Amino acid sequence: MTLLFTSIRLALAALFRAPLRSALTVLGILVGIAAVVVVIALGQGASGKVGGQIESLGSNVIYVFDQPVARSGARSALGASAGLTDEDAEAIRREAGSVSAVAVYSGTQVQAVTSFANGRTSAMGVDLSYFPVRDFELAAGRLWTPAEEQSKARVVLVGPSAAAKLFGAADPIGRSLRIGKHPFVVIGTLMPKGSSPFGEDQDDRLLMPIGAWRARISPQLGHRVHLIMASAKSFDRSDQAISEVDAILRQRHHIADGADADFVVRSQEQFRTIQERVLRVLSILLLSVAAVSLFVGGIGVMNIMLVTVAERRREIGIRMAVGAEPRDIELQFLIEALALTAVGGVAGLAVAATLVFGARYGFGWNMELGPGAILVAVSTSVMVGLLFGFLPARRAAQVEPMEALRHE
Amino acid sequence: MAEVETEPPIVALEGVGKDYATGPEIVHALRGVDLRIGPGELVAVVGASGSGKSTLMNILGCLDRPTSGIYRLAGIEVTSRSSDERALVRNRLIGFVFQGFNLLPRATALENVELPLVYRRVALRERRRRAEQALASVGLADRAGHTPSQLSGGQQQRVAIARAIVTEPPLLLADEPTGNLDTKTSYEILAILQRLVFESGITLVIVTHERDVAECARRIVTVRDGHIASDEENAGFRDVRGGVTSP
Repeated sequence: MTLLFTSIRLALAALFRAPLRSALTVLGILVGIAAVVVVIALGQGASGKVGGQIESLGSNVIYVFDQPVARSGARSALGASAGLTDEDAEAIRREAGSVSAVAVYSGTQVQAVTSFANGRTSAMGVDLSYFPVRDFELAAGRLWTPAEEQSKARVVLVGPSAAAKLFGAADPIGRSLRIGKHPFVVIGTLMPKGSSPFGEDQDDRLLMPIGAWRARISPQLGHRVHLIMASAKSFDRSDQAISEVDAILRQRHHIADGADADFVVRSQEQFRTIQERVLRVLSILLLSVAAVSLFVGGIGVMNIMLVTVAERRREIGIRMAVGAEPRDIELQFLIEALALTAVGGVAGLAVAATLVFGARYGFGWNMELGPGAILVAVSTSVMVGLLFGFLPARRAAQVEPMEALRHE
Repeated sequence: MAEVETEPPIVALEGVGKDYATGPEIVHALRGVDLRIGPGELVAVVGASGSGKSTLMNILGCLDRPTSGIYRLAGIEVTSRSSDERALVRNRLIGFVFQGFNLLPRATALENVELPLVYRRVALRERRRRAEQALASVGLADRAGHTPSQLSGGQQQRVAIARAIVTEPPLLLADEPTGNLDTKTSYEILAILQRLVFESGITLVIVTHERDVAECARRIVTVRDGHIASDEENAGFRDVRGGVTSP
């Protein structure tokens, strides 16, 4: 115990005697450990949150996006590629047997002004079906009525983040809010929803009748909508619903089966699959970086330890002459290698923590730095230290004391 | 001969030989050496360079293994021991004093003296106490916190002696202990070594090529061409404990 303690003290002293050399040696380990920790943080954040986020989109929802076709062709010449419209939504509602509800959605960033503040947020025009389809619930106040939807009434519902931004602690209901030159009245607030799988804060938004949105916010859009959402009647019928929606829209847009469509139909399941695939590719990439840097870093540690052993042959000889056993010497140099990789591990953990928190608060990514990540960082650096410190320590233990002492 | 027959010898070499292979040739550094040294003896091993006295010193110190013969140290057969076991023997039974002092340059005098106790797993407090005691016995109690570079050559060698005796070994080996020192300092070191033998009962073997140094021993063993050429009591023994007046 006393020897172990002395060895650790000696190892740290040796480390700080050549700070630049130690820092450079440790760099590879640092990058490797940081990459490992980020992979774990990504994985933990994803497995914990992705499921919930996908659910937050609503249940069994099918999304239809506008996908403009860039190349010129018969369709655009005929003016048939008009994007998604109210009429498309209406056709899906009427004809798709596996679909229970259809909602339309358009949105844009706006500058909203209240008597308290002036802030940037998203303004979305939706119809009343949007609320059940996307599972948005009211926290207080009321929804707009079908009559208000028809008359393009200037009423608005605010999400919790937008409410905090624009009204502070005050109750927004009944207060007015101006977008451009158009005043709106806040008639209700929404329940918190969290961030979407795309990293968007779903609480930082204003919802208004689609008619009002078209009239006041974005008149140039006409009857087009950004997004159509359809609820499948049940989870099992999602695939069926997708093919029905696809067929209806192909017919309406005059697009042959198999040709490139000017829209994209995606189910929640597909979102999940896509996100998992992206995550997997990212993880593999980072783990490759980690493996390469840990290997290169480990070689660096081994190299510097071999140099250290060569430089300190005399010291080794003295220690052996006064009774250090070869395994005492081996332990000492192994601990020095471990000290190097441990410092690299701690620094790598710090870098990873900075990245993780940066990603979380900067981009709203879901990453978690749990005890698991710390454990892996520590055990990986210890393993690298043992693996690459072994050979130099062995060599130190094999020094012939008399030869080392004669070597002036 | 000064051998004490009633007690077992500290050093007992029987027919010890050491061969080195240098390229195609085999050098016989030592051939059939018999040597017995009893407890409390003060022996000088002398010889020209290349005579084999360094090889003999390495074998006596368990730093090297003989290729033939048997070596018993304090009754223990050490010839066939592994390097770990020889390390243990060195730690328990032998103290070394080298020509080049061989102190750890970054450690203080006290830490250098503590070193053998570290490898004996002696606890810190006890280690410190014994190291301070050993430093005091060589007159360096007030230099405990100095590093070797802050000490004179004579002081460094005294630290080395303190380190050699801190484990209270039965055998002390001094390899050219005054080789790097001026005459006056040399006699101070020799006085300390003589005091250790005559007052603490340690067994001391000094390896040297200097006649003046050898004369401070009771018995002189002369090595030539790998064997012992003579082994006799020193008729001109000089006791330098009281100081030396003329060079």
